[in-house]
Amino acid sequence: MIEFLSPVWPERIDARPPKKRPASLEGATVALVDDNLDIPFTTHLEQLMTERYGAKVRRLVKPSGTAPSPAPLIDDAAGADVAVVGIGL
Amino acid sequence: MNLVSERLTADDYDDAIELFYERHWTDGLPVVLPTPRRVQALIDYVKRDPQESLGAIPPKGGAATIEKLAINAVMGGCRPEHFPVVIAAIEAMLDPVHNLNGVLQTTHMCVSLVIVNGPIARALGINSRDGVFGNGYRGNGAIGRGVRLALWNLGGAFPWDTDKATLSHPGEYAFCIAEEEEDNPWAPLHVERGCAPGSNAVTVFACEGPHSTFCYGTPEEMLHVLTDTMCALGNNNLHVLGETLVVLNPLNAEEFAKRGWSKDDVRNYLWEHARRPIADVRACGVVHEQFRKMERDAGRYPHRWDLDNPTTRVPITARPENIHIMVAGGRSYFAAVLPGWGGFGGFAATRSIR
Repeated sequence: MIEFLSPVWPERIDARPPKKRPASLEGATVALVDDNLDIPFTTHLEQLMTERYGAKVRRLVKPSGTAPSPAPLIDDAAGADVAVVGIGL
Repeated sequence: MNLVSERLTADDYDDAIELFYERHWTDGLPVVLPTPRRVQALIDYVKRDPQESLGAIPPKGGAATIEKLAINAVMGGCRPEHFPVVIAAIEAMLDPVHNLNGVLQTTHMCVSLVIVNGPIARALGINSRDGVFGNGYRGNGAIGRGVRLALWNLGGAFPWDTDKATLSHPGEYAFCIAEEEEDNPWAPLHVERGCAPGSNAVTVFACEGPHSTFCYGTPEEMLHVLTDTMCALGNNNLHVLGETLVVLNPLNAEEFAKRGWSKDDVRNYLWEHARRPIADVRACGVVHEQFRKMERDAGRYPHRWDLDNPTTRVPITARPENIHIMVAGGRSYFAAVLPGWGGFGGFAATRSIR
């Protein structure tokens, strides 16, 4: 019998449960997390959601596209009906 | 023994190794089993509280405690005397300027290179000479892999998940070298970066794999080749600046020094001449252009380069100091250029080895 130690920490289960998926974007509040990387794409997405699908979009701009969102921004996004994250490039 | 990690058992070595594979606790290669005795030996050597944490390893945020680092260092093949180098490397990687979160998950193929300076490199047999980026030396292999396994198991950026590296490079397994300080006419890297001469230190820098650079002859001839390699259009640096690394072999450095060139002379020349006309850079396409604009809008691209002027020659870094130069390898015809991630991070960070 060989004994050894685990190299990882136990899985953390502290994520908030996801909100119910809305049937439509019409009138829904959408937090659009702008990674500050592909700005034209993000702008196009914002227009589509607003003009074609009637969403109320709030664009939350990250200070850097290569670092995690600040905690206040995450809290802000979590308050919306829908959040779009991880756009990247 | 104040160790808090889960203890597991297996009937034999083969079963234990398979368990590491099943749980994705290894990078694809077998590991040395982190038995309590081996792990304790590393912790005893550094005389630190096993529950002291250096910080959270991104993206999943596992605490880099001395105990967890020791477990992963053992898995990589480290002996107790290697462990202080692993700790210093992790401390350096957690410096915000290094942006480890981004380095570990970017689509770019940078990996954090661990550069060891000081007498400890020779004492631990960390190679700084022929084949420096290659295999054959336990110091380079065990420290390099111990660091990578700690990032793997505590950070959890996996290539099938949030590590989005398009191609990455073999340094993901181990990427650790020493600077050649004896056969070197100049001050070593860590002294340039503020450490005392004769002290031990680790510098980390996220970069591509080494690009072979056929570099031999007079200083002017060597510089001609180096500048061309450094400003290749595929490098992120040419588009979004950041930092870059040049590794000269001891013969290269000796030739420069014999003819009166200091390291700063070389650095300044490289910075002035490793440039491309804006037309060349523009021809790369709209995405590159967009990156450059983004960097300029964010204030990270100095305005003294007029990107709308067709005669502008674009530099690869904002200032000469962002070109790191070190000496390593055999006395031969080749140097290496290791471009960085660009302005997004992965910048060099140095920590003393305690």
